Amino acid sequence: MIGSRPRLEGILFFLLTLGVILLILPFIGLEGYRLRFFSLIFMWVALAGCWNLMSGYTGHIDFGPVAYFGVGSYCTALLMIKGGFPFFLSVFLSGVVCAALSLAIGLSTLRLQGAYFAIATFAAAEALKQIFLEGDRVIGMEFFGGAHGLTLPPPLPGIFFYYIMLFFMALVVGLTAVIQRSKFGYGLRAIREAEQAAELSGVPTLRIKVYAYILSSSLIGCIGGVEAYWLTYIIPDDVFNVMRTIQMVIMTLLGGMGTILGPVIGASFLTLISEFLGARFVYDYLIFVGMVIVVVILLMPQGIMGALGKKKRRVSV
Amino acid sequence: MILFCQSLVNGLLLGGIYAACSAGFALAFGVMGVVNLSHGDFVMLGAFITYWLFVLAGMDPFLTLPFTLLFLFIIGFFMQKLAINRLVGSPPIMSYLLTFGLHLVIANLALRTWTADFRTVQTSYSGLTIIFAGLVLPYSRLATFALAMIVIGGLYLLLYRTETGRAIRATAQDREMAQLMGIKIFKIYTLTFALAAAITGLAGSLISSTFVIHPQMGLPFTITAFCVVVLGGMGYVPGTLWGGIILGVVESLATTYLTAGISLSLTFFLLLLMLIFRPGGILGKGIVE
Repeated sequence: MIGSRPRLEGILFFLLTLGVILLILPFIGLEGYRLRFFSLIFMWVALAGCWNLMSGYTGHIDFGPVAYFGVGSYCTALLMIKGGFPFFLSVFLSGVVCAALSLAIGLSTLRLQGAYFAIATFAAAEALKQIFLEGDRVIGMEFFGGAHGLTLPPPLPGIFFYYIMLFFMALVVGLTAVIQRSKFGYGLRAIREAEQAAELSGVPTLRIKVYAYILSSSLIGCIGGVEAYWLTYIIPDDVFNVMRTIQMVIMTLLGGMGTILGPVIGASFLTLISEFLGARFVYDYLIFVGMVIVVVILLMPQGIMGALGKKKRRVSV
Repeated sequence: MILFCQSLVNGLLLGGIYAACSAGFALAFGVMGVVNLSHGDFVMLGAFITYWLFVLAGMDPFLTLPFTLLFLFIIGFFMQKLAINRLVGSPPIMSYLLTFGLHLVIANLALRTWTADFRTVQTSYSGLTIIFAGLVLPYSRLATFALAMIVIGGLYLLLYRTETGRAIRATAQDREMAQLMGIKIFKIYTLTFALAAAITGLAGSLISSTFVIHPQMGLPFTITAFCVVVLGGMGYVPGTLWGGIILGVVESLATTYLTAGISLSLTFFLLLLMLIFRPGGILGKGIVE
């Protein structure tokens, strides 16, 4: 920990420079497909960063972050279509709804450990998906749109979403950097290393886990809302797709869990790879992704584990 | 009243099938702590083996069982030996991701080879039913249920009445101690996973005559296995029977009195409540971390 201060400053300097470059890129010729592609990378960095904030720092593997992505998407869509709310207010309210929902789910599930927490969050996400998929048939009226989903008002130009996604990415990365150095961040890492010892030394473990969960979930909800307006068309099978969860997890793992730069590197790398493979091998793309996951985990588990690797060594001594 | 009894019986029959499809998942989790996300793909592979033997060789679905058993045993053996054995002792997230990667590879290879068409196995006795006390019992479901019970019973006997079963249970209880007693744990792990794959594939063969077969049918079965295993108690193999029956009955009643889609979210809600209030399963004999 002694060496972490100057290194953190170096990282922040690098990120700030990168941020400034990204801010002016659209003025010097970034447009069309590339602009969209950059926005996509920003979105995934932000999403992976949110997952990292909760699971990377506490070591509690959340397998259902997509629940908040989906709920955020639907909230924004419903507020804009049925309520006529402006976009920014809808996104903000989606964040609030997700915060409330994650408080309820987090308080009950965060008492669970290991595989139990992972399965419980996974179940929560699937249950919510089914509710949005079948809710209409139960209440007997058209509201969520069922499997056909919802169509939002026509969107603004791509540059608008470029800046919003950039903002969310900067926000998530910035928050991670702030939390890393705060008492809150040390508490989260203490939970990862030894939860009972942390509890005994006076860390209110359940409370700060719930805080981290709410923070991560509400941000994911906001990003889901932005994506809904960006794509203008949402269906439960897409916004609640378990692949989104897996992507967040793998991106963070690739870059390194519990680090500031991990999600940035992992998400950029994986988005690039999938865009490349997806364009070239439309039908075999998922086979390749599966193989990449298997190979990475089998051949370089230490390399990608980052913080988790340290924990493992300490236990085995 | 007859409607209630009929859906109760349907639920019981479905539950037996669910239990058979999930016993392998409970076995792998109980012995190795591996949450196998490619579990449902074994069901899919089993169903496809039966389908192709039925279509190409004209074999009766029930006669294809030995082939499925053998084939899935070999697949499970190599999956464990080449991949999962390397992860023993690493954080559980690595095994989730590895098995999810395997799921992507298996399911999408199957999709490429066999296309997304929905297929069914139609035998001469497919539509036959037995009517007992006013209740309709489809013959093939009844036979499937009976065989599923035999599979679970056989697994129980293997685990609790044989020397190999004892070694497997010892490894599950305390890996290092079992190792000290001269048990070759990697051999046990490989055997366990191959066994889990084989009985799951067998369950897949069994359901081929009552369910629709397609390459993407795997993941829902993985999710079902999650629910069944949590309801029965994580890692407690006989508990899958209880878990399967509860799940089958709840789903069947919800389908009759609510709608089919909402029964799934009810299942997940049940799972969530179970995890929070009774993580040891309905009998309280599961492993609680």
